[in-house]
Amino acid sequence: MATMAAQTVGEALKQQGVSRRAFLKFCTAMATLMALPPQSAPAIAQALSAARRPSVIWLPFQECTGCTESLTRSDSPSVENMIFNMISLDYHETLFAAAGDAAEAAREHAMQENFGKYLLLVDGSVATGLDGAYSCIGGVSNVQMLEQAAKGAAAVIAVGSCASFGGLPRAHPNPTGAVPVSAIVKDKPVINISGCPPIPVVITGVLAHYLTFGSLPELDALGRPKAFYGESIHDRCYRRPFYDQGKFAKTFDDEGARNGWCLYELGCKGPVTHNACATVKWNGATSYPIQSGHGCLGCSEPDFWDRGSFYQALPVGSWGGAKTLAVAAAAGAAVGVAAAALARQRQRDIAKEE
Amino acid sequence: MDLLDFARGPGMQYALFVFVFGILWRLVGVLLLATKPDLSEPRRPACWKGMRMVLSRFWPRREFLQRTLATEALGYTFHIGFLVVLVFFLPHLLFLEDVFKRLIGTNLHGLIGVSWPYLSGGVIMVVGAVTVAALIALLVHRVTSPVKRLISNFDDYFSWLVTVAPLITGMMAYAHVWRPYPTVLALHLLSVELLLVWFPFGKLMHALTIFAVRAATGMAFERKGAAL
Amino acid sequence: MSATDVDTVHPLELEQPRFSVKKPEVRHDRQGDTPDAQRVERAMRNFVRDFGRTAALYMEACVHCGMCAEACHFYVATGKPEYTPIWKIEPFKQAYKREYGPFAFFFRLLNLKSKVTVGQLQEWQELLYDSCTMCGRCSLICPAGIDISSLVALARHGMCEAGLVPHELWAVAERAQRQGSPLGATPKVFKERIEWLADEHEIDIALDKPEADVLCTLSSIEIMKYPQSIVATAKIMNHLGLAWTFRSDGYEATNFGMLAGNAEWQKDMSMKLIEAAVACGARTLVLPECGHAYGALRWQGANVYGRPLPFQVMHISEFLAQQVEQGRLKLKPLAKSATYHDPCQVSRRGGATAAARTVLQALGVELREMTPGADANWCCGGGGGVVTIHRADALRYKVFQLKMEQIERTQAEVPVTACSNCRQTFDDGQQHFHWDKTMHSLLELVAGNLEPT
Repeated sequence: MATMAAQTVGEALKQQGVSRRAFLKFCTAMATLMALPPQSAPAIAQALSAARRPSVIWLPFQECTGCTESLTRSDSPSVENMIFNMISLDYHETLFAAAGDAAEAAREHAMQENFGKYLLLVDGSVATGLDGAYSCIGGVSNVQMLEQAAKGAAAVIAVGSCASFGGLPRAHPNPTGAVPVSAIVKDKPVINISGCPPIPVVITGVLAHYLTFGSLPELDALGRPKAFYGESIHDRCYRRPFYDQGKFAKTFDDEGARNGWCLYELGCKGPVTHNACATVKWNGATSYPIQSGHGCLGCSEPDFWDRGSFYQALPVGSWGGAKTLAVAAAAGAAVGVAAAALARQRQRDIAKEE
Repeated sequence: MDLLDFARGPGMQYALFVFVFGILWRLVGVLLLATKPDLSEPRRPACWKGMRMVLSRFWPRREFLQRTLATEALGYTFHIGFLVVLVFFLPHLLFLEDVFKRLIGTNLHGLIGVSWPYLSGGVIMVVGAVTVAALIALLVHRVTSPVKRLISNFDDYFSWLVTVAPLITGMMAYAHVWRPYPTVLALHLLSVELLLVWFPFGKLMHALTIFAVRAATGMAFERKGAAL
Repeated sequence: MSATDVDTVHPLELEQPRFSVKKPEVRHDRQGDTPDAQRVERAMRNFVRDFGRTAALYMEACVHCGMCAEACHFYVATGKPEYTPIWKIEPFKQAYKREYGPFAFFFRLLNLKSKVTVGQLQEWQELLYDSCTMCGRCSLICPAGIDISSLVALARHGMCEAGLVPHELWAVAERAQRQGSPLGATPKVFKERIEWLADEHEIDIALDKPEADVLCTLSSIEIMKYPQSIVATAKIMNHLGLAWTFRSDGYEATNFGMLAGNAEWQKDMSMKLIEAAVACGARTLVLPECGHAYGALRWQGANVYGRPLPFQVMHISEFLAQQVEQGRLKLKPLAKSATYHDPCQVSRRGGATAAARTVLQALGVELREMTPGADANWCCGGGGGVVTIHRADALRYKVFQLKMEQIERTQAEVPVTACSNCRQTFDDGQQHFHWDKTMHSLLELVAGNLEPT
């Protein structure tokens, strides 16, 4: 089975019946999202048209398929899945018609043909426990498959929090020994598109950037594209004025909640979560969790499952407990008693000597 | 575990442990020391009334006011500002209520039927800024006044530092300046932990000791019928 | 130093306005030949012996706010920061933190507070003795409630054990212990004076009565400098028709043991008075016009005795006030304006502030209180032994200016006090500054204005 990597993106889009207008709209949107100057839009259009459709291998490991769902949810042509028209998705278990050995053969063929040039997308965490036996595809462990696939990849994109940081499988007690992609792939650039799931247009934006400029966008300390993860939810949240004014909802159905007040007290992790939810939003810019009245879970941050209850406010809960303090008090009192006893003995000794 | 996870979790646990441990050590170690009974005939046998010194020494006598007003005013600006920032800012309140709840079993609302009020972030920032300004003024006084310069030691300066650091880092966190917010928030928590750990061992302990001292002196003076 | 040495090296000075020992060419501010290391050791051990829960709490609560300096006349008059009251007890505090506090082990291990040296103790001698009268103004201002004055008194114990008392103060204390009086008013001299005064003023002065209701006592300053106080006391007691007496086995109310910091001498001196009162079965012991005498017996007497005193202790001003209030003492009006200098140990420290005012009211004077007055009044600067120390004169005169200003501001004709040490401090200051105001004795005013019954 030959890949369609021979086509240019422009040719492919034309073939699919995507109008020039729709294409330019997409390029402008990409430029805006990536905070590139407006002049970039025509440059992006030009570069993308002429670019070769890259081969993309998508490996699913310990994942729930939510990341794929997020990307493919829309059933009408949209900015998000426009990208599928631009890439040559040479392997994707869920979306493939093929299955079993045929699918695996297709993958290996694509990897061989495009060695050094294909993009490796990974969703789900990598199981390392029991020598990787916890998660295998066709008898091959995630670790093995990833190591092999990464060899010929131009770049690795970890899609979703599981691939980026370990996600749900890594939550305490981490029975499968789940690790992020970056723990296995050390010699290639890895970009983390975290989120549970990530915002679809973020995936699109990163790919578009790669196709246009041939490089990955600027990343933060956790390997996430700064254009989308540079700001916290808190800093872009429309309910922020309520936080500043001290107006907080105390329960999910009180007056404050009905008035759309800040959800800090109800466990919102917005202040410590970096993502584009508050600006780009979800479902075609319809809404995002806070707008719907539920606090941010912090799903684009590492270990968000292990950071206490989603409904417990940020300052609460991890400082220990009454028992620890009781022990501290008892221990302190004991030492105090000893110190006082020593001092009193000292006085008695001196009095005796006099 | 990143810095913020440490600061919120184990860091706070260790700090609170040392805080409680140290306070008990110092208080018990002092309160169990030898006392001698006073056998003189009291002028006023109801010397417990002298405990009113606990309150009366919050403000100097009229005769001393002229020479102490500046220090008193600055001192109160700092103390009151610090307390306002501490207990009337919602994120702090949530933490304190959580501690309260875990120790007592119920939160304040469950106990007395009303919730503790709080101020808006903007007001807290202003109060915080005024508090820091007062602290700086007090430090300037400490290094320029011949009396204070002579009697001050490491404890005075270090205690100042661990007191001003949470205020400044807190304000930095609120204003989202300098580093990513989670890092500044972590620094804020760590600075609070430093204050907690230092509290029992330096002069910050006066927050607890002065009440015992005033009570003791108050009763001794009341016994003699002397002015409190 | 032997008895004769003391008399030779520190002869008494009884000609100046203030009685002390003669101004020396060479100071002898170290007593004995003890090597330095031992001096420090003795001081430390004594400091530790004196610590208790209250003193410990005091030393744990100071926040170095420096307000105590603002209350201290020595600091206010000179602006010298070393006179900050809490600074005066710094070696005491060092000893506490290193030897007795809850973290003592760590203070020593990590040398968090340095070890006290003999040099430091010598430097602090001036701070603890020359520039502190234990007047208690600092104790009144401290926001933490620390009774700094009491800590100075305790610190003096250690200094005395180490043999580091200013020599004049030590010399008069030694005399007091040995002879029964700091100023040479031995029982023999005392008896002679009584005899002479009784004769001169044709008045009965009860002495050594085997039984009496009231035991009266005196200060050597009165005996030697203001003997008219003896006459005044007798006059009033006789006028009141009381069964009273002086006792030659217990008459000296000043307690230079306490002022020097010698706990043993302090006890001996108090015991003389107590035993004399017990011997004659007195129900009331009246202390003379003296400040520290009041603190010594009224508030510390029972504690050195080891049990409650079997008699009432009153300052002469309290006694007179009581007689006035009970209607037994009527006074002729003294049509003058007066202002009252409060002896620190009687008013502020002693709780008897109101007594003198009751008496002054009975005297019918126009009372003009000083500012600050009553419990917050400025100390005269001579109490606690300071007036005996020659090298402290310059400092004391600076402080005295505060008093002069206060009294001038009232424009009162008659300054009055009820402490003969304050009185001699005023006399000395008056001479030094050529001031026109003379301090009067409340006791003498009363004696001079008795309304005949």
